[in-house]
Amino acid sequence: MKIYLGVMLAAVCLLPLTTAGQEQEKKPFVQARGSVVPVPLPPGGPPPKMSDGHVDLSGVWFPGPTGKANAWSILPEQRPKEDPIPFQPWAETKYKSFSRVDLELGSANVNCTPVGVPGMFTDNAYVHQIDTKPGQLIHLIENNNRWRVVHTDGRPHKSKDDLEPLFNGDETAHWDGDTLVIDSISIDERTWIRDGWFHSDQLHVIERLRRPSLNYLEYQFTIEDPKVLTKPWTSAWITLSLGHEDLTENFCTRNENVEQLKKLAAQDKK
Amino acid sequence: MKAAAGITFCLLVLFASSPTFAHHAFAVEFDSSKCSDLTGTLTKVAYENPHAYLFVDGKNAAGEKVEMTFQLSSTSNLKRGGATYAALNGSVNKEVTVRGCLSRNGTDNRYAASFVKLADGTIQRVGQDVEGIFGTKIWR
Repeated sequence: MKIYLGVMLAAVCLLPLTTAGQEQEKKPFVQARGSVVPVPLPPGGPPPKMSDGHVDLSGVWFPGPTGKANAWSILPEQRPKEDPIPFQPWAETKYKSFSRVDLELGSANVNCTPVGVPGMFTDNAYVHQIDTKPGQLIHLIENNNRWRVVHTDGRPHKSKDDLEPLFNGDETAHWDGDTLVIDSISIDERTWIRDGWFHSDQLHVIERLRRPSLNYLEYQFTIEDPKVLTKPWTSAWITLSLGHEDLTENFCTRNENVEQLKKLAAQDKK
Repeated sequence: MKAAAGITFCLLVLFASSPTFAHHAFAVEFDSSKCSDLTGTLTKVAYENPHAYLFVDGKNAAGEKVEMTFQLSSTSNLKRGGATYAALNGSVNKEVTVRGCLSRNGTDNRYAASFVKLADGTIQRVGQDVEGIFGTKIWR
């Protein structure tokens, strides 16, 4: 009954979109079956637990609340409300100087380079697979077949002499109640936090993962970067939802965008 | 008060339903003001990543007979949306019509495709909403 009411309410809420639908009829090809109105999943009950009593985060997780791919959603892309990024003045100037073409040309996804941490979540529109067991989390993302393995037993970071710049950094994790906290340092400076937000070698990323119910995973991250920011910054919680599909192969084997965008950048400079 | 609560709930549902952020923005590379329906013979499908491509021999927007290249989304999005490898390849050497937006950088006959009408009459969404048909045009 609750699920039925939820679906009904969602349908009522989405009624204004029919106006947009009528407008679509004036355009060609808008009846494509891939264009979907997303309907959120119900909570689905309590989250499962692992043998050590911690919440099991395992599952195939789609960004958004539908448990499905949302690429053809008819709803506009939106960002949750967050505090402004507390850039130091020089960093603010640099960040604001990026044109849209600059942002594309610097994007890991455009260049088929590693998205790093927190880019595995912030620069990834595709599906995740997470497998957890006591002491370990395996994180796979479909986008370019990227992966990381994180120890979740609270071990310390490597010693300073053993650290090296890595795209995913030196990661370790511990449980804070039902929230898994992943702590990363020594992150390669070629990654972005997201959308042109560059960082220094002093970047410290604290990611939080929690599963409030069977069907939902939530993600939040904090950025500390004393060379670039005036103070730490914490994101809004991002929602992912449980899917029932396998990840599919997605290798970057035909990248034409970099050369095309370079041509555009040269044209824009004329 | 009830109305206000209802509107708030609706906004929350809509907000929660929003898609995640795109791989990258086609609307940077392609011109949303230069979109048209382009018909011709599908000669080849490159079902690869980060973007798949369709190659079509036909008339461009200027009416010239040319070979056109259409950039689609990723294979992940295509297959989940129904534009599978088999569905697209089923129209090779047959007539298709593609909704395409021209590249902004002057490359001849290079387009971003949003929809394709295949030889069997089915219509598939295959790429980002460069035109903003759904109000979802992506600008970072």
